[in-house]
Amino acid sequence: MDIEEVKERAGPREFSPADDLPEEYRKAATRMIEFHANSEIMGAYLERPFIRQAPSIDRKLAFSAKVQDEIGHGQLLYRAAETLGVKTREEMLDDLANGKGKFLNCFHYPMTEYVETPMVAFFVDGAAMRRQATLRRTSWEPYAHAMDKVCFEEGFHVKHGEDILRTLMNGSRKEQQLTQEAFEEWWPRIIQFFGPTDDKSTHHDFAASVGLKQKSNDELRQAFLDQYVPKARKYGLEIPDYPRIHKNDEGRWVVEEDDLDWDEFFTIAKNEYEPGVGQIDGRKHAQEAVQWVRDTIEADNVPAGGQPPQAAD
Amino acid sequence: MSTGEMLDPEDLDERERTALEHLGKRLGDDEFVLAERYTEWQVRSPSLESDLALSNIAQDELGHARLWYDVLDDVGLDEEELVYERDPDTFRHSTLVEQPFPEGDWADAILRSYLYDIAEKLRLEALEQSSYPKIADRVGKIQGEEEYHLEHAQNWLERLADGEDGTGRLQEALDRLFPHALTLFEPTDPDVEEDIVELGLRTATLPELGEEWLSIVLPFLESLDLDVPESGLADADGYAVTGEMLPAVRGRDGSHTESWDDLFADLTHTYRELERDRPTKIMEQP
Repeated sequence: MDIEEVKERAGPREFSPADDLPEEYRKAATRMIEFHANSEIMGAYLERPFIRQAPSIDRKLAFSAKVQDEIGHGQLLYRAAETLGVKTREEMLDDLANGKGKFLNCFHYPMTEYVETPMVAFFVDGAAMRRQATLRRTSWEPYAHAMDKVCFEEGFHVKHGEDILRTLMNGSRKEQQLTQEAFEEWWPRIIQFFGPTDDKSTHHDFAASVGLKQKSNDELRQAFLDQYVPKARKYGLEIPDYPRIHKNDEGRWVVEEDDLDWDEFFTIAKNEYEPGVGQIDGRKHAQEAVQWVRDTIEADNVPAGGQPPQAAD
Repeated sequence: MSTGEMLDPEDLDERERTALEHLGKRLGDDEFVLAERYTEWQVRSPSLESDLALSNIAQDELGHARLWYDVLDDVGLDEEELVYERDPDTFRHSTLVEQPFPEGDWADAILRSYLYDIAEKLRLEALEQSSYPKIADRVGKIQGEEEYHLEHAQNWLERLADGEDGTGRLQEALDRLFPHALTLFEPTDPDVEEDIVELGLRTATLPELGEEWLSIVLPFLESLDLDVPESGLADADGYAVTGEMLPAVRGRDGSHTESWDDLFADLTHTYRELERDRPTKIMEQP
């Protein structure tokens, strides 16, 4: 199949491993799914310490389950990416450890306090949900299929995040204040979750033309703001003064682009943002510490794991 | 020794309450602290698959802790009293479960799980006929999940023991963990322990459980070519845990290794920082 035919046929779940697809399509799809899978892993890495720090057994269980789900999503997505025949899971995980693999901007920022957790678990995951819902109609069938399961579980994650936010904002003055401070710190990053506006987006045109991407950055961000600005206010959070946002004549939220730090965003996108480099290296270090187990198992030629893969469906 | 009669949760005397509290705490604390340690492996396991498996096990153990702690609701103890506002020196878990994992030491995680899971299997059997209805009722659900834990540990042990690197690491972990594992069979308080058995809360004594544990664990570890410390344990009378095999601190009596203080401080950090006065409940019933 040549690229013109791909563009002509591009539609929801149109292509599968049975199709002979041009390299350009396979590479673009791999880049997109690998990014998504890496983000699941790095998101889990960021949240893992809060399994311990959660202030109750029930919350602890919910955090542990959430982190587990994310590893499961990573597993599922790497498999969907592998079906394109461009990279193996091992290569993708190695690239992630070596700082070559790309992942979501928000997961480059360290998270040190519990009050920050709903910024990821409610807002970032809520933003991710919007994007993921549209990916159930992506043209690479294995990716769309993976999204069915991912979206289902993400729904629980957002509820978990929302419940934590609700508890914090109904807590003491101190809790409310600390949560507001965390929100102010995370809010610009959350808006940048969707990436630069369409006119500045590097990969959008091609990915959209072959049906990999279903909605543009602008559309997704708009829909997110329309939904989450009222939600934030409902829980008593004040929208920070910067970046400036206002409602336009159609009643939709508009962000002053110049108020967002796009230099920082692109530094992050290159994996060169200092705190993010620390997270990548931290994970790499943890992976190296158990390299001996993988070596032992490989020498043994036994598949890794003590049970059938959990996330397979 | 047991009278065979069931205890009435509505009408417990002082002796019965104390025995129930000690038993519930040694069960719940073991599960809670072990789960806390297991979660350290999330996102840090050797593979995505082993990550998922260990996460499952950690959540099972946390769920079991919640079940045991909930039994203590009958003697008026809540989660804040059992965990978040408790004096760390009153925790009754074995020192085996509080040990930090040396970085990347998957052999420790697997071996610890094996040593613990065998002990848990035996003690659950001794709780099947407990005179306390809530305990007896919950054993079945826990046993169903524990079967998989043991299988997971044994499969991995066999695989690790197959290579030279793995055997060396397993041996190091065994030398370190074995004395702590023996504290699983120590009493919280000798008199109360006697009551636990006399009242039929548990139908086997700790020395009986310890003996049975040794009779399973020692031959299995030896079959993996591991040297069991003090392996002259089997004498003419069979296996027995003796005082000189035990570490200086025994957990059950409230004495703990240093790492417990750090772990406790860490896990209660948010609760203290936010000045909470009760842990958030999501589920009404465990």
